[in-house]
Amino acid sequence: MSYSTLDAENTSRTPIMAAYKKLEGKSTQLLEKIRESLEQLNEKIDVMIEIQKHGQRQIPENLPEALDVMTLLSLPDHLRKTAVTLCKLEEATADKVAEQTKRARAVESGYLNQLVVMGYMKKERRGRKAYFFIDKDA
Amino acid sequence: MGKIIAVHSYKGGTGKTSLSVNLAASYARRGKKVCLMDLDFRAPSLHTLFNDHKAEYWLNDYLNGICEIDKLLIDESRDYANGGKLVVALANPSTEAIRDMTAKDRKWEMKALGRLLSLRSSLLNDNDFDYLIFDTSPGLQYSSINAIVTADVVLVVTSLDASDINGSRRMTSELYELFEKKTGILVNKVIAEYLSSKEERKKFDKQIKSAYNLPILAIIPCYCEVLRAAGDFIFSEEKPDHPFTENLDTLATKVEKF
Repeated sequence: MSYSTLDAENTSRTPIMAAYKKLEGKSTQLLEKIRESLEQLNEKIDVMIEIQKHGQRQIPENLPEALDVMTLLSLPDHLRKTAVTLCKLEEATADKVAEQTKRARAVESGYLNQLVVMGYMKKERRGRKAYFFIDKDA
Repeated sequence: MGKIIAVHSYKGGTGKTSLSVNLAASYARRGKKVCLMDLDFRAPSLHTLFNDHKAEYWLNDYLNGICEIDKLLIDESRDYANGGKLVVALANPSTEAIRDMTAKDRKWEMKALGRLLSLRSSLLNDNDFDYLIFDTSPGLQYSSINAIVTADVVLVVTSLDASDINGSRRMTSELYELFEKKTGILVNKVIAEYLSSKEERKKFDKQIKSAYNLPILAIIPCYCEVLRAAGDFIFSEEKPDHPFTENLDTLATKVEKF
């Protein structure tokens, strides 16, 4: 096959390729959106599980809890480790906390969400990432 | 990367301040940059030993968010070898300040913990301090637990008093372990006859080891000269050849490697 025929073929395919590329871009976007929604859904389920486990507590807005050292002492060991790590980092994603505690990200995400439900921390979405922090001025 | 050391005890009068000061001086003499901090807001003491007339701001102000840490650091360095530095941060000794500090709520204590934790970046990282030494309040109170949470190493000073040993042991399982702190025991003011012969010393070491399930970093005899100094000066600076100074230097080396 000579180069000229190849060129001719390519030219004839260009509109199809362009349409395909566009479609591909769209489906990637769509998949990305689905992934984000699934992640958010996952976290919501985590929170619901926590609420079911511990009963519907008063929601943080009504009852801001101070995460002082006496409270830290009263937490179960696994949550204390997460809470102290977040105190040190001030603000972090579950990934960053997991890096420090050397536990799995999913585990830390569960504990952080539990602490949010308990009213000791807050969570904020920025783009695709969820940041956890202690609201000192609440 | 520097280290934060909290010197704590269950009871008062165990010698926390004396050991903190002399440990700080020992590091400064070996060329380290040290910051000694008075975190005993109920009974401040470092101001009597250092030049508090230079103090415009206190650690209280730093924790209250009124000023940054550099405003209150007082340089107390002597002619230390290899550029060693001893800087102090004092607690406000006025009755009004003590009353103010004892009336703080949980939320304030939470913020104070944040302020203490950020000393790691402001002093150790940005200002190259090798050691921060926290002289704390005895027992379980907010200011001392905040200090313990912030520290890398906790040194527990204990006397041979039964209630002190009992309390220190309880703090080990109910405080230091819960925060996963590296903890070492300093037995202070030990009666000389317990250490009079090799045999006695062996017996004593064994007793102490069985009392605590933690490394014993120092056993310091009770020296009349140290008592006589009455906290008027930095003992190890004035008496570099005294056995107390030797004990403290050995302790400093152990803590360095701890």
